[in-house]
Amino acid sequence: MTRSACALVLFLTSGVAFGQAPATPAKAGPFKRLPDGKPDLQGIWAAGTFSPADDVEDHPVDRFQIRAGKSIIIDPPGGKIPYQQWALDKKKDLFEHHMYEDPEAHCTLSGVPRQMYAPFGFQIFQPAGYVVIFFEAFHAFRIIPLNGGPHPPESIKMFEGDSRGRWEGDTLVVDVTNQNDKTWFDMAGNFHSDQIHVVERLTPVDADTINYQATITDPKVYTRPWTIGFAINRNKRPGYELMEFACVEGEQDLQHYTAGEGAKK
Amino acid sequence: MMRLGAQFLIAVLLSGAALAQTRTADGKPDLQGIWQARNTAAGDLEDHGASQGIPAGRRVIVDPPDGKIPYQPWAAAKRKENYNHRAIADPLGKCFLAGVPRITYLPFPFQIFQTPQFIAIAYEYDHATRTIALNGSKHLEDIDFWMGDSRGHWEGNTLVVEVADLNEQTWLDLAGDFHSDSMKLVERYTRTGPDTLQYEVTIEDPKVFTRPWKISMPLYRHTEKDFQIYEYECHDYLEEARKGAPK
Amino acid sequence: MSKRTSILLLAAFALWRGAPAWAHHSFAAEYDANKPITLKGTVVKMDWVNPHSWLHIAVKDKDGKTVEWNCETAPPNILYRGGWRKTSLKEGDEVTVEGFQAKDNSATMSAQNVTTADGKRMFAGSAESPGASKNGDK
Repeated sequence: MTRSACALVLFLTSGVAFGQAPATPAKAGPFKRLPDGKPDLQGIWAAGTFSPADDVEDHPVDRFQIRAGKSIIIDPPGGKIPYQQWALDKKKDLFEHHMYEDPEAHCTLSGVPRQMYAPFGFQIFQPAGYVVIFFEAFHAFRIIPLNGGPHPPESIKMFEGDSRGRWEGDTLVVDVTNQNDKTWFDMAGNFHSDQIHVVERLTPVDADTINYQATITDPKVYTRPWTIGFAINRNKRPGYELMEFACVEGEQDLQHYTAGEGAKK
Repeated sequence: MMRLGAQFLIAVLLSGAALAQTRTADGKPDLQGIWQARNTAAGDLEDHGASQGIPAGRRVIVDPPDGKIPYQPWAAAKRKENYNHRAIADPLGKCFLAGVPRITYLPFPFQIFQTPQFIAIAYEYDHATRTIALNGSKHLEDIDFWMGDSRGHWEGNTLVVEVADLNEQTWLDLAGDFHSDSMKLVERYTRTGPDTLQYEVTIEDPKVFTRPWKISMPLYRHTEKDFQIYEYECHDYLEEARKGAPK
Repeated sequence: MSKRTSILLLAAFALWRGAPAWAHHSFAAEYDANKPITLKGTVVKMDWVNPHSWLHIAVKDKDGKTVEWNCETAPPNILYRGGWRKTSLKEGDEVTVEGFQAKDNSATMSAQNVTTADGKRMFAGSAESPGASKNGDK
């Protein structure tokens, strides 16, 4: 491939060309509402950019030829995760030497917010009293009750955590606790502890766009909370359906990762 | 006059079940809630004595009347072989998806959600999901899935779900009851009271069985305060055990 | 259509399909982009599994010995949406598989294109393989 074509591919696949920032209202009409007046978010969606799946921060093409991408961190303004020093050292070590410990490579759930920008999209249902999200990746699901009930005790840890939602005007605010420490934010070793607390805000912009933001707090790992943001776009292909993605049943890659990369055999 | 009155009374009594149905906003029977089976079908669909980890129990097979799965002779032999090796041969032991109908009667709860267009079922075991379109769409062709491809419609108070595209890699229970990739199912979910749901499945597989057969069992709604389904990330526990790490 | 345009379209195709880098650098970790390989063989079987499917082919090496090669492809959901079916390939079908060799010297490769005896060429590459952007150079 020529250099310029290569650069073109990198540019296109970096997500920049496909509008990773919260979208300006497009030709799509206004979003629909449910009978109770709340926004109707039902349908199949996907993150407008999958760059954060590689690395949530700015990143050049890395040693694995993964494409470059821009940070989705909108606060702090520098677009970098505000790690405590020990945590920054740990992240660097994970990135340099332990990338294959990324739990996603082991077919486990991605946690929140990573599940929202994991590949293959998701489907939103709004039955009475809930927002329910089924993801194609790993057949993950998130059940978000809207009834103001309590989170489970912190002794019950889950990969995907526990979500509780409420509407503030047209914004769905989701409070996520009870996550374990086993998930990463991306493939680049960006991590958290089991004290992580995430507050998401999903605001429909028009019929085909949701503005997604998530504020992450973890006093064990970061010096302050930080916030990511990106657009979620509706999949409008007629007849499109999610398909089963059963990972552990057929996973055959790990055995081939070469030893020189510090991989498992 | 009396005769009419008696007929009316009988009609009212017969439709008692219909009167007891709660309905969703779009007028369909409301099957929503967190449900769980309370039997030992996950151990063995047929009558069985107790064995390691499995209590004794009666069959959930209602047809054929003798309660025995109508295997073809070669398949009956294979089932015996499965049974003898079940400790290592059961795909569930490797944390593979449980398939249908086994996912319904595993000892884990699941939650049914309903919209006018979909039934969405979230299972605690291995966070399995089933999305059942109610729009008359067709099964995908030329592909198979661990949890199959499910399409549903209402028949009176019953949700009827047709399941196709099941792969041949799942078992129907721990005892080694199995099927091929030609298996097709018709599930029927009928609310029989505020906290009970009758679950019936007709199982057809011309490669393995001599005729279709049917299972039936009640499912019970969880009514404990603040009950919710949690997470069972099966293969993570397997990996931890392999590493020798503490849980 | 110019090479540049076809690359542009294919990149758009890959993104539109929602198929970004999956399975964790598995391409560059397992395969060598500098070791392209083209194999002619017969289909043994195809495992339609995640996160990548595997096409097993029997290839006669230069000594006439048959070696079974494992060719990694995109996962079933991507293959299916790209028009592949489980019946697209049958045991015994003659195929030509283009791709990149594994780094660990096993008979493993990352498949980019599969051409059947009737000349039909199907793209098979996982999204993070180089072919995901090269496809279209016919």
